[in-house]
Amino acid sequence: MAQASSQNKQPKTFWNEKNREALAAYGFLAPFVFTIVIFFGYAFVRTIYYSFTDYDLFKTPNFVGLDNYKNILTEQLFNIALANTLLFSLIVTTLQTIGALVLAVVLNQKLRGMLFFRTAYYMPSITSSVVITLIFIWLFRPTGIFSFVLNWFGNHSSLILTFLVVGALLQAAQVMYDRSKGYPATAFDPAFLFTSVLVGLVITFILNALNIVRVGDLPAQPLNWIATREKFLGIIPYPLLVIIIQNTFTTIPTLMLFFLAGLQGVSKSLYEASSIDGATPQEQLRYITIPALRPVTFYVVTVGVIGTLQMFDQVSIFEGANAPLESTITLAFYVFKKAFDPSGLPKIGLATAGAIFLAVITTVMVMIQRRFVVSDTGS
Amino acid sequence: MKQKYALLAAFGLLVAGAGSSLVSGQTGTTIVIGGRDGVTDTGLVNDLINKFLKPALAKDGIDVKYTPIGDYDKAIVNQLSAGTAPDVFYLPDNTAKGLVSSGKILPLNGLVSGTDFISSLNQTYTFGGKLYGIVKDFNTLATYYNKDLFDQAKVAYPNDKDDWNTFSDKLAKVQKALGTGYYGTCFPADYARFAAFAYGTGWKPTKKVTDPSFVRAFQFYTDLVKSKVAVQPSTISAGWGGDCIKSGKVATAFEGAWALGFLRDNAPNLQYGTSLIPLDPTTKRRGNLLFSVAWAINKGTKNTDAAVKVLNLLTSKAAQEYVLENGLALPSRKSLQANAYFKKSGAEPQANNTVFRGASSGNVVAFNQPPVFTDAVNEALKSVMDGTSTVDEALKRAQGKIDQIK
Repeated sequence: MAQASSQNKQPKTFWNEKNREALAAYGFLAPFVFTIVIFFGYAFVRTIYYSFTDYDLFKTPNFVGLDNYKNILTEQLFNIALANTLLFSLIVTTLQTIGALVLAVVLNQKLRGMLFFRTAYYMPSITSSVVITLIFIWLFRPTGIFSFVLNWFGNHSSLILTFLVVGALLQAAQVMYDRSKGYPATAFDPAFLFTSVLVGLVITFILNALNIVRVGDLPAQPLNWIATREKFLGIIPYPLLVIIIQNTFTTIPTLMLFFLAGLQGVSKSLYEASSIDGATPQEQLRYITIPALRPVTFYVVTVGVIGTLQMFDQVSIFEGANAPLESTITLAFYVFKKAFDPSGLPKIGLATAGAIFLAVITTVMVMIQRRFVVSDTGS
Repeated sequence: MKQKYALLAAFGLLVAGAGSSLVSGQTGTTIVIGGRDGVTDTGLVNDLINKFLKPALAKDGIDVKYTPIGDYDKAIVNQLSAGTAPDVFYLPDNTAKGLVSSGKILPLNGLVSGTDFISSLNQTYTFGGKLYGIVKDFNTLATYYNKDLFDQAKVAYPNDKDDWNTFSDKLAKVQKALGTGYYGTCFPADYARFAAFAYGTGWKPTKKVTDPSFVRAFQFYTDLVKSKVAVQPSTISAGWGGDCIKSGKVATAFEGAWALGFLRDNAPNLQYGTSLIPLDPTTKRRGNLLFSVAWAINKGTKNTDAAVKVLNLLTSKAAQEYVLENGLALPSRKSLQANAYFKKSGAEPQANNTVFRGASSGNVVAFNQPPVFTDAVNEALKSVMDGTSTVDEALKRAQGKIDQIK
């Protein structure tokens, strides 16, 4: 009886241990919950609300139903932005994930001066995105270094080709001669290679001096990759391609760091055991490293998809460099363009509808990749 | 217990201190002026504040502060919406319509007299019969030419009688005489320069950009670049037309009086002259753009009277005279149009005179087309100048975009 009464009393006291623990937990969570509720939750609810109105920052919002969603879906610029965004996200996420994994595996080797290489490769990630974008615009300008290099290669192609052909012939001759004598010479025997390169250079130089092989005098063909509507392979607009190259270059190092951290957690014994079984390094990468890094890969791909779908800053800077809007616009930039419509008052209704659309696409993409591409648990 | 009292006392002191500072803050009125961020704008407005506003307003206890605003067109929309906009601020011609439709700009009828101001300029800022801004100054385009290059090439200077053909002939001759690295003229793919030629044909922004007159001007303008007589500023590492003239490698450029201060500071030894924009050989008329920025008052200002005083001083005859004599822009007051300054000899007064005459010579249209319109034309110009589109393709695409505005 006494026991039963004490049991009944326990929940009546508010300050029991269970509640105290819960309160402490809520206390610690409070600052984060507060910021999330105010800056995310409230903003998100307002965004949904505005997407069903004709709000312009000044007048009282009027409910317009699904008009904003219908309007953006029929707008050409929105559809271009959607296509550009999906293209950009797909390509960059793939390239940066593979690139980061390869770089992490390479930088995970025990080599002298590895700290230097890790630091050097990480540099692009800590440089301001605006600065890197401006540098890339300079590199790809009609009078930029890429234009110069391509032109140089164009004009020197005969010399380069001569050197390669002569070198290859010399190498082949030496290897075949050695093999005919019964020695086990490999195709890229270093000693033969040295001779081939050296003699190849000398012969190319002589042929050039005798005017048999000449440097071309093609006029400089300015590379037009920024202010153009042309598309690479008829699919990717050139300005977007430059942004893809730049974005891959700057995000690989950050993602590499996650893979590098993941690699530290892969047990050495797995590699040792597989070596004993005769696994090659390629097989180790395929059957040990990649499966072991699954949770990290999931994280990297998810962060990649979300980040690339929201790409904004480069487009904004490219617009200033005269890149046609259609060749670079992404959904995030579309939202901005509508929110600050230069032809009059802000079109907040359309902008928020675009933003909600972007949020839905992001969620769907992450779900698709989780379901079909890579999930967070190893199989 | 003692500690508690000490804390209470400290808190009380703090409250009292804050209260007294609030009271002292109420004694004076501060009017905040907002404008574009830039060396010229910031310097000029601060000059006006120190020379004309502060001395006149001191007796009324009104203080004036200038806040330069970066990315002005976007920022001012946000500030007006949030209620944090300055009391008196720039109302640019091309965004005036949108800003006025926000209902946050005070109509000036009955508060400020617009009678001494050029009526076509007032018209740019009049919506629904109400005046919303007093033009602080205006500009048009003139042909700037480098006298030394024309002398070296033994070609006559451009003059007010030149039409597109005679003008481009002169440019081609100069370029031929001086050789590679020199250009006849320099302009960007920008409606704000090109439109002067389009207006010369009689075309108006109410017509389509696929209109034959517009196409003719577009063809002439872009052909100059294609034939390499003209160069885009970015190609020769210049930022704009004034920069091109400064380089000493370009014979002419189409700019307003804003180029004067720049040339004075950056090319003090350059011998240059100015003439009106060349005539269309078919219509025998020339075109020009009227650029202007007005001062407007925030409807939400707490001190309308003080703001009106500030606006009147900013657009006063004395202030405009100062701006004119510094070669920064032309006065919008009718009473200053006969100012002795215009009759002075020298490149600068002569250039100001040309820019001033530009406003009444031929078809002059205010630069207040919505940015979506000008962006569409700019892109068309760019794609043709870069050789990535034909004239027809580019203009059809531009018209498609313009049609979407409505």
